[in-house]
Amino acid sequence: MSWFRRNDTESIAKERLKLILVQDRALLSPSLLNEMKGKIIEVINSYLEINQNEIEIKIGRESHRTTLEAIIPVKGVKKSHR
Amino acid sequence: MGRVIVVTSGKGGVGKTTITANVGASLAKLGKKVVVVDMDIGLRNLDVVMGLENRVVYNIMDIAEGRCKINQALVREKHLSNFFLLPASQMHTKEDVNIETVYEIISIIKENFDYVLLDSPAGIENGFKSAVAPAEEALIVVTPDVSSVRDADRVIGLLENKGIEGISLIINRYDSTLVKKRKMLDKNDIVDVLGLDLIGVVPENKAVIDSENRGEILALTTNNVATKAFENIARRMEGEDVPFLNLAPEKRGIFGIFKRSE
Repeated sequence: MSWFRRNDTESIAKERLKLILVQDRALLSPSLLNEMKGKIIEVINSYLEINQNEIEIKIGRESHRTTLEAIIPVKGVKKSHR
Repeated sequence: MGRVIVVTSGKGGVGKTTITANVGASLAKLGKKVVVVDMDIGLRNLDVVMGLENRVVYNIMDIAEGRCKINQALVREKHLSNFFLLPASQMHTKEDVNIETVYEIISIIKENFDYVLLDSPAGIENGFKSAVAPAEEALIVVTPDVSSVRDADRVIGLLENKGIEGISLIINRYDSTLVKKRKMLDKNDIVDVLGLDLIGVVPENKAVIDSENRGEILALTTNNVATKAFENIARRMEGEDVPFLNLAPEKRGIFGIFKRSE
């Protein structure tokens, strides 16, 4: 099986290409992205209880538009806002 | 009023010039009035690929700088009376080109043609910008390799920012034998990643080099699978719904070993 896979350079090319394009399509540098992430967390955190360790924020280009995708697991509303 | 289409790729050496000449020729064979414009100022090649290098008198910079009229610079192709070349200047550099002037020249030319194909230089600098400025549509040429597709992705982003709609994809030098062995990116992989409409797949073909050596356009002088691929691109550009060629390698029968491997 590993012999077979080693010869399948198409899959390797495809995977490399996908990773490269994710990086290329990023509009912000990793440090700016982190800064933005911090500010988004700050705002949301003042209203909702969120799980800060499981936040995922991605900028991506699907075929004809650029999107910002944020997955922020919510535990509940902040006590002060209940 | 003709369609103005830039042929571009980002990466060099993927076959933009060959594609421009052959797609242009195939459109002309369909009876369309076509001009191909070499936008690679300083490194002109389209005249050589078309075998017209000895007929070039004036070029686009001569028009821009007022030394000749547009019609004087157009070179008619040897076989077809409705197919023309507007050569680039070899003596100037891409920095000498005034984008507004090129834009004006192309908008005058398009009045008299069905198709104006702009052969863009490699890169994303000034030469690319002046090739893209007058364009309303784009043909992106890629070869099935990571670096070419990556650069194409960058160029597509730039074209979309410029508001160019109608960007179609041509995959050049496709080797279905390698694809079948899973040693080359599949056309569907490339289409998925780039998110463009595929308008043509041109198979790797030795006759392309052969006709370039002779200064002939393949699509006008040879009848093979690559010629068919170029014709299909032209017909799809004309809005025809043409099925894609089956480029799968021929099954080798019992006498298959005597066949030349292509």
